[in-house]
Amino acid sequence: MYSFKMERAESLTSALERFGDSDDAVYLAGGHTLIPAMKQRLRAPEDVIDLSGIPGLRDILVTQDGIEIGAMATHAAVAGSAHVKTHIPVLADLAGGIGDRQVRNRGTIGGSIANNDPAADYPAAVLGLDARIVTDRRTIASGDFFKAMFETALEPDEIIRAIQFPKIERAAYLKFPNPASRYAMVGVLIACISDEVRIAITGAAPSVFRAADFEVALSESFSESSISELTLPSDTMNDDIHASADYRAHLCKVLIGRGVQMLSDH
Amino acid sequence: MELHQQLTLPQSVDKVWAALNDPKMLQQCLPGCERFEAVGPDQFEMTVSTKIGPVKAKFTGKIALSDLNPPLSYVIKGEGKGGVAGFAKGSATVSLATIASEQGEATRLTYSVEASVGGKIAQLGGRLIQGAARKMAQDFFTKFVQALCEDETLVPEIETVSAP
Repeated sequence: MYSFKMERAESLTSALERFGDSDDAVYLAGGHTLIPAMKQRLRAPEDVIDLSGIPGLRDILVTQDGIEIGAMATHAAVAGSAHVKTHIPVLADLAGGIGDRQVRNRGTIGGSIANNDPAADYPAAVLGLDARIVTDRRTIASGDFFKAMFETALEPDEIIRAIQFPKIERAAYLKFPNPASRYAMVGVLIACISDEVRIAITGAAPSVFRAADFEVALSESFSESSISELTLPSDTMNDDIHASADYRAHLCKVLIGRGVQMLSDH
Repeated sequence: MELHQQLTLPQSVDKVWAALNDPKMLQQCLPGCERFEAVGPDQFEMTVSTKIGPVKAKFTGKIALSDLNPPLSYVIKGEGKGGVAGFAKGSATVSLATIASEQGEATRLTYSVEASVGGKIAQLGGRLIQGAARKMAQDFFTKFVQALCEDETLVPEIETVSAP
């Protein structure tokens, strides 16, 4: 009952073929969500297709307008990459604060965003920095990618190849971590992209979202006083034993304020 | 976990009530519902497959309608077992009221859900129950209003209200 077949794909094409041939297949990236779920018997797929043997999926490359990070790059690789540290320092910071050392050495950026856990850090970076998601068949804009809790625009068999980030120096990620899991109770990414301010919030609601009112106010005047009257609605926030919905809504605003301070001193 | 929400449906109370009592309609609108059979008066058995993120479980359970006050309200109670995943049980009080709207007669549907989950699904997914319940409600009522009005473009706006 608990047996399954594990295969290591040697190319994207063969991974797609194997997925198509199976009645119940899953792709394995870093396995930091899938494997615990399988150990708990909460997921029992027939076929597990390991993507770790596909060449090129771990590369971190500097391109003309930004940095392209292979979907199988681990959090530790992104955090330690000289390219990322130079051109998008906030992304290296964010990756270095995910989970613990074990998670960072196995977990991957592609796995994280394909899973779209409501409290994962990377969705805030992808949406806040307006990255593009390149799959085996198309390129998806960050605003179209995250659909709902654990839901993305990906087709069931679609594989992420890489994530393309623009170079952005003036940005900050502020996270209020759960002390046990290091998941974000609330994580706020603020980016200043030329005259526009983008704010993406993870952990607070069922899926990552942008704080539109705060973006408009801060784009007009980048100061804490310009957002003092604004609030975030708590009726769509997560509510659990770690924090109530009101607390999370409050925390979002506190973290946005701290981010504005940090980036103003900068 | 508690959830108190309401939405407006562009149909009469009688039509909404009939749909809420139609097993075929309920099966069609319940995400992942593979089986929904009447086993007695106001008693049903069902099988539901759910996939929420990494978790995939099949629940088999019973549903009963009680406190029927046609066409205005009922209580729907259910409990299901999901094998190794654990179990879930809950009840919802559903009530209908006629309201005036620009397009003519409309119905305000209010529901209060109380639900609990146990076993492994609660250990691993405890922090996600509220979000999952909201999403299931949204999915259910989106299909419900689309089937009721035979218009696949309708998406109901569900408001959260304070506990009655």
